[in-house]
Amino acid sequence: MNTACDNARGHLDAYLSRELPEETRQEVQLHLAACPQCSAELETRARIRTELQDAVRATPVPTGLEVKIRRALNDNDKVPRPRTGLWAVAAAAGVILCVVLVGILRNEANPEEAILRKTSGRLAAVLNVGLRDHLHCAVFRKYSKQSLAASEMAADLGPGFADLLPRIQAKLPGDLRVIQAHHCEAGGRQYTHFIIAGARKDRGKLVSLILTRRQSGESLPGIDQTSVDRFQVVGFESHDYLAFVISDMDAQQSLQLAASLAPTVREYLAAHAAG
Amino acid sequence: MFSKHPRTDEFETVALPHLPELYRTAARLLGDGAKAEDVVQETYLQAWKSFARFAPGTNCRAWLFKILVNTIHHHRRSWFNLRRIEDSEEILEQTAVCAAPVPERIAREQILRALNALPADYRAAVLLADVDEFSYKEIAGMLDVPIGTVMSRLSRGRKLLRGQLSELARSYGIGEVGT
Repeated sequence: MNTACDNARGHLDAYLSRELPEETRQEVQLHLAACPQCSAELETRARIRTELQDAVRATPVPTGLEVKIRRALNDNDKVPRPRTGLWAVAAAAGVILCVVLVGILRNEANPEEAILRKTSGRLAAVLNVGLRDHLHCAVFRKYSKQSLAASEMAADLGPGFADLLPRIQAKLPGDLRVIQAHHCEAGGRQYTHFIIAGARKDRGKLVSLILTRRQSGESLPGIDQTSVDRFQVVGFESHDYLAFVISDMDAQQSLQLAASLAPTVREYLAAHAAG
Repeated sequence: MFSKHPRTDEFETVALPHLPELYRTAARLLGDGAKAEDVVQETYLQAWKSFARFAPGTNCRAWLFKILVNTIHHHRRSWFNLRRIEDSEEILEQTAVCAAPVPERIAREQILRALNALPADYRAAVLLADVDEFSYKEIAGMLDVPIGTVMSRLSRGRKLLRGQLSELARSYGIGEVGT
């Protein structure tokens, strides 16, 4: 043990937690590569952490607890009211854009009818197909907000979808960029998922572009939009896929983004399906 | 199409998947399964009441854990005679000077006992960082303390935990001297 070892050991736990600034992390890594004792110490600490996780996670959860909580939630019938002011503004902006966009995209003679159709339960169910994966994978999963390198994302996507990545990146406005891209699963369904975020971490936007194979009875012939809680869900179909753009942006931004990504996605999937 | 109010089933869909983690963390913090059940139930009711104010883009899991931590904090005084942190400083000093190797295989029961022996504040930091894998910044937000305090509690908590495990090794007669 020398000063370098003392110094490295002071950082080992933060190193394991990925909390070190990049420069310090590299210094620690260099030292670890040269020092078997500190490497062994790192291994011990990692092992303790894993054992601790296993031990805590083995704690059985009382079987009736979830039912009890569901019951308490239903009994406690004070439904919180949404912020109607903001909601109305977002809704109005969305409706206006929908009218314009649906008119352009579908050449509809009566856009109101087209919008009214979107409120149906069937469409809500189809839009929820995409929302489920966004919630499951991008919002509430403990995924690291870390931005991956393009090569890593391409490897995660595999040859089938890797080429789509730069095309999507090219279509993103402002400070938005793809930070992760992969295949994932939610509710027993397979998704191809591009997680897009704003550059500013503190007030960043979070967007998912989600593709999944269309199943029988699922159809989104236009560009359809709904809002569920704070999420804007925009969906469209392309060949044998459903595509969704889901975000915490406002209705207008969300729809614009989906409309600018749609041709790229459709073009890619057409070639992909053909090839 | 824009008028969907947050409903109980939406809340349940996003919030209930975190139930096992919340319960396990509560059980370890409180050392009592029945109290953990009460606290987790209260956490969900609190969360539901403020769901409409739940900020967009916020991490739901971190938000639920913050409510859990607050709920526990609220009950703490009536439920516990918490061991003061100062008491453990002595143990910390002792373990720092005579570190024996940590045994190769640690039984779950032993590691949980070592965890339970940590003062509550250290235990909370270690659980939230090393088991629930929250970032230091997120933990600072949950515990409502500066990030430096989180780091110092973690450093001491982890060191104490290792110390407890070395102590265990020594009691079995494994490895007499550390580095």
